[in-house]
Amino acid sequence: MAGNYSNESMLDLYIFETSNLLEQLEHSILASEKSNHISKDDVNEIFRIMHTIKGSSAMMLFDNIASLAHSIEDLFYFIRENNPREVDCSALSDIVLEGVDFLKVELEKVKAKDPVDGDAQRLKETIADFLNKLKLQNSSAEKVSTSRKETKKNSVEDLKDIPEDIEEITEKIPEEKPRYYIAPNITEPPAALSKKNWYKAVIFYQDGCEMENIRAYTVIHNLKEIADKYIFTPEDIIENDLSAQVIKEQGFTVVLRTDKSYEEMHEFFMQTIFLRELKLEQIEDQEDEPVMNQYENALTPQIPVLQTVEKEEKAEKEGQPSSSSSAQQSIISVNVVKLDRLMDLVGEMVIAEAMVTQNPDLKGLQLDNFFKAARQLGKITGELQDMVMAIRMVPLSTTFHKMHRIVRDMSKKLNKEVRLEIIGEETEVDKNIIEHISDPLMHLIRNAIDHGIEAAAERVAAEKSKAGTITLEAKNAGSDVLIIVRDDGKGLNKEKILRRARQNGLLAKSEQEMSDREVFNLIFLPGFSTKENITEFSGRGVGMDVVSKNIQTVGGSVSVDSVEGTGTTITMKIPLTLAIIGGMNIKVGNSRYTIPTVSIRESFRPKESDIIRDPDGNEMIMVRGECYPVIRLHTLYKVKTEVTEFSQGIFIMVEDEEKSCCIFADELLGEQQVVVKALPYYIQNLKKDNELGGCTLLGDGNISLILDIQSITRLVKK
Amino acid sequence: MIRVLIVDDAAFMRLAIKNMLQNNGFEVVGEAANGLEGLESYKHLQPDVVTMDITMPEMSGLDALPEIMKFDPKAKVVMVSAMGQESMVRQAVALGAKSFIIKPFKEDVVVKTLNQVNALK
Repeated sequence: MAGNYSNESMLDLYIFETSNLLEQLEHSILASEKSNHISKDDVNEIFRIMHTIKGSSAMMLFDNIASLAHSIEDLFYFIRENNPREVDCSALSDIVLEGVDFLKVELEKVKAKDPVDGDAQRLKETIADFLNKLKLQNSSAEKVSTSRKETKKNSVEDLKDIPEDIEEITEKIPEEKPRYYIAPNITEPPAALSKKNWYKAVIFYQDGCEMENIRAYTVIHNLKEIADKYIFTPEDIIENDLSAQVIKEQGFTVVLRTDKSYEEMHEFFMQTIFLRELKLEQIEDQEDEPVMNQYENALTPQIPVLQTVEKEEKAEKEGQPSSSSSAQQSIISVNVVKLDRLMDLVGEMVIAEAMVTQNPDLKGLQLDNFFKAARQLGKITGELQDMVMAIRMVPLSTTFHKMHRIVRDMSKKLNKEVRLEIIGEETEVDKNIIEHISDPLMHLIRNAIDHGIEAAAERVAAEKSKAGTITLEAKNAGSDVLIIVRDDGKGLNKEKILRRARQNGLLAKSEQEMSDREVFNLIFLPGFSTKENITEFSGRGVGMDVVSKNIQTVGGSVSVDSVEGTGTTITMKIPLTLAIIGGMNIKVGNSRYTIPTVSIRESFRPKESDIIRDPDGNEMIMVRGECYPVIRLHTLYKVKTEVTEFSQGIFIMVEDEEKSCCIFADELLGEQQVVVKALPYYIQNLKKDNELGGCTLLGDGNISLILDIQSITRLVKK
Repeated sequence: MIRVLIVDDAAFMRLAIKNMLQNNGFEVVGEAANGLEGLESYKHLQPDVVTMDITMPEMSGLDALPEIMKFDPKAKVVMVSAMGQESMVRQAVALGAKSFIIKPFKEDVVVKTLNQVNALK
């Protein structure tokens, strides 16, 4: 059952929830900073988020996280309760964001199972200073005490009148002569009195049960039903939390009058939760002998006011539609591990289905009904597969919105005005891929602000708008998603790039032969950077190369285009999903290969006369006036086959971006949905560049190697 | 088995309490993420005991409590609070909460409280 890995799932949930809350928090505070005003809703939200993080972190024993969250919670509690007139939004944002950063770092440590040992002392001091300043500014306008105790208001509305009313009441009471509490709803019968007993109870609570004063209050609250007179000590259980300490040491004592029997009173008190010890005795009539300091019980007057407060708050809330709760009902969060497993199972099912419908035992048999049923099975499998893929798809919005923070921080630090425009954030991408996009995207945005966007003065001089614009756009293009980072900065300088490439010996081609695009794309080579100074953010020549690698890991590619003076555009092309693709199976000798259908342009049987050789002796083929290099699979992979004459085999023309070539194989075996499995590590280690994108299991039980067309076309370039 | 409804906006808290309860023989019959959902779930499920967080969006614990008590005057609600929320807990008691547990809580405290609250007449 769930209990087996409950500890892990607690940790996972803690990480998941806390990360989400931190993102929400960051979003709120950035929005407030932009509008230079922090709304009541935002204050409330930030308070609640910190409160929640404090609670769960304390449960997980991450005390330093809980402690910082507590500090920020206190700060926002003050702002919420006292609504100070002037809050320095910029300074407040800096504090909150610094807190967010600290918490993010600690959360990473949690994820990595490293010791969670960050020290937020300095930040807590900053927060304390800020809070003190706020209190001072506010003290003139303030009557309500600014102690940490939360007051009667638990929700946010403008009920400024109410605190004062409650204040008056609590202040009034001590002035009046202390009396016995007389329950308003129990009237003593004028004549024959029912037998009234007086009891004295002393209650001791169990160690560590906390808030003993409130527990004592619970007793008193329940006592009202059955006792018409009572007094108790310590008396200040309501307004003084230190009374809990008194109760711990001396117990809670109640003297009361009731018509209940001793047994009944005993049973009553024994129901006290966390009771350690009860001393109950019947005592003499106490009418005229107050044995301890009498205290006018302020319970009754307060509660009606409380109810009024609630009624008003309810009335205010009446008008608010609770749309978000219904929206919440239709979305659930699912553990990604379960999704991965589901994905694997669907993959297995696709293979199993192929093994049934393409079973060698069926070869040549006339099985109309069977094949009809098999087609139906195939149809349903396909739908199931589509559905599972769709579930794993996640919109890019979260990833894109994270960039706001980067833009804000960088533009502040570099003193540049930059705005971020987001287009197409609802575009969806496989969950696995999202994780690989975030870092490259961050780097590209940092680059754009660091290298691309010019300082305000420079821009104005160039007749551009003062603020630079970075556009982050996502759109679907066939079976890929395009993510474009475009800036209107100063663009790339061809000369500088060529010079640097020359210096580092990175030029594979002569400069004259390179197109502008090819020059620009040099920046993706390792060790490349034209920046003279290495800043904190960029210039180490590590960035673009890493970006390129990261994107390639998910099966995508990145390219750059630029116009000097106008701006730069970086385009990332990422496949929608890697797991299941359409593939054409081909045969070479006893080996099987699969070519992704999306890369196939056409297939044909060539005529010997169409084959030509280039000056280096490489085989080429003419198709409709165009020349395409030929790749013999049996030569490439050293596979024994009978089919070496072109006219006996088949050519498959494949293309990747602008490069095309023709692959020569024995025969086509057929198209099917192919479940992509990664190559086992020992193969990957053996030969790093193997032009393979994975492998798969065919319906007849054979293993097929999936060709990576991008690397195949690159082969011929050499 | 004692049937419990857990009301808290933090999924983490709900899981923490659920684990504690299930390890000790309670049956968690439902979870709710705010006071409004909690009220609806209570009407629906009629649990033996409810654990209810105070600070929640939509409808706080202090707002949902009287609604639940109105629906079922015998409702046994245990408030879940953080340290420093004494006056809110007191209000909750005044409104009918039978007891309270304080975060961060220990398993034996939670179990004992729920057992004792359930046993109240």
